[in-house]
Amino acid sequence: MEFLWEVLRDAIGTLTEASPQLWTVVSLTLIVSAVSTLVGVLLGTPVGVALALGRFRGRGALQLMVSVGMGFPPVLAGLLLLLLFWRSGPLGDLGLIFTPTAMVVAQVVLAAPIAAGVTAGAIKGLGGAAREQLAALGLRHFTRGVVAIREARSGVAAAVAACFGRVVAEVGAVLVVGGNIVGETRVLTTLIVEESRQARFGAAVAAGIVLLTISLMVNVAVDRFGREVA
Amino acid sequence: MKVSFRYPGQNPVLQLEGLELVDGRRTVVFGPNGAGKSTLIRLLAGTLPGGPGWETAYLPQTSHLFRGTIGWNLGLGLDTERAVLAARLAARLGMGDRLSEPAARLSGGERQRVALARALASPRPWVLLDEPLAPIDAEDRSQVARVIAEGVGDRGAVIVTHDLETAAALGSHLAVLVEGRLRQQGPLGEVLSRPEDRRVASVVGVSNLWEGVGLTWSGAFAVVEVGSVRIWGVGKIEKGRPCRALFRGESVAVLGTGGSTGSVRNRWPGTLAEISRGGRWVELRVDVGGAKVTAVITPGAMDEMELRVGSQVVAAVKASAVRLLTAG
Repeated sequence: MEFLWEVLRDAIGTLTEASPQLWTVVSLTLIVSAVSTLVGVLLGTPVGVALALGRFRGRGALQLMVSVGMGFPPVLAGLLLLLLFWRSGPLGDLGLIFTPTAMVVAQVVLAAPIAAGVTAGAIKGLGGAAREQLAALGLRHFTRGVVAIREARSGVAAAVAACFGRVVAEVGAVLVVGGNIVGETRVLTTLIVEESRQARFGAAVAAGIVLLTISLMVNVAVDRFGREVA
Repeated sequence: MKVSFRYPGQNPVLQLEGLELVDGRRTVVFGPNGAGKSTLIRLLAGTLPGGPGWETAYLPQTSHLFRGTIGWNLGLGLDTERAVLAARLAARLGMGDRLSEPAARLSGGERQRVALARALASPRPWVLLDEPLAPIDAEDRSQVARVIAEGVGDRGAVIVTHDLETAAALGSHLAVLVEGRLRQQGPLGEVLSRPEDRRVASVVGVSNLWEGVGLTWSGAFAVVEVGSVRIWGVGKIEKGRPCRALFRGESVAVLGTGGSTGSVRNRWPGTLAEISRGGRWVELRVDVGGAKVTAVITPGAMDEMELRVGSQVVAAVKASAVRLLTAG
């Protein structure tokens, strides 16, 4: 027990010190997570709408891709992108390897299928009458999608929360493509990995507390939004 | 037209050949629950795959309004001009001063009025309505029916219902569906008074549908003039407007001349023009000066009265058994 108390005291010490290093990590975490959630939602939501409402060739294949993508192992996603971005790889010339941009790309790959899957589920979950009426209106694809998202907006808000939850907590992919470089590509999760490995448990737990707080705040905000519009 | 629909791996739930849906005509598709009426209308609307791909304005059986105000819902998918028309139709349906209210708070009947106004305001050449009067209170139905008739205008319409009064209020032609098959079709009055077989008769009943002009009210009853015949009945009519009278063949008594009919308001002397014997029932057609009454009586009663074609009789029906409607 004594050990755990000591770790906790250390963690609180680290937090009250508010070292600039920690805040660099926190701000990079927030930026990478927010941008990749935004891009993931922008890419994934229309796919989810199409899956829920569309009748088109390749719909089954797309559904399968989304399902697989929702549970895709992050480390594997990181590895595939690492191969693409590697200096002698196909996209090596872009010079993205071990940059925050590469981390965002990896997170988008993981987040977009979740946005698509949760959005599709939310729209499919609308009542039969709502779906029939939506089809009955004979709207243009874009308008129909917008009306469907409006109608299922608490479900779509849940999709945003799920995306953010996945990317902020994700460690494997960002570790592989970001490289966990201090001051450049280190985020809260990879900081925890590093500090744990060095047995600096206080610092690791401090990062964990910040991570949980962010997660909590985002979920409370999304829940509030969901209730306001319900 | 020819329409068929099956769910994968099952027998067709709907197989219609020769169904006549004519542009500019309001056809009522009539049938009991499970006859395939809603499947048909959904095929026509394109919300089920495999239909003719028409351009349709479609009101589903359960109307739904989306999150937002009534006004926003009314304009959904319509250009400005049509949205204004939708608002005007909604106003005629009693929703005029409520456009800024959230749609979520409306009752079923109010929701139906908004969805109906929106569907009718659509410029598409076919109007499809699935049980449009079902959620509307009985006393408001004739007004709503009139708005529907005006909203449809000279476009083609398909109206699905299992309610005879809705059919009589909205349609000019009737197609009877039973278990996914077309059993009979034709002008409304003809199908109602002459069901082709017993199955159709048991679905629609044997009914008289007369077209006339609203004449007057007297106490609880209204009067409609059909040719030289006056018919008393219950329902809202308007003086001078086209009206319809609907009554069952089973409600008609056929009497010898000279007998008393007591309190019965509608008593028309006439000539027995046609006798068709079924199994347990006999259908009689009595010519009562322009109008024809279809009566359903028992073979026993007919034999007792020694009725034959050409007999002079009196057809009588209580006013409370006659439903009067303003024809849309």
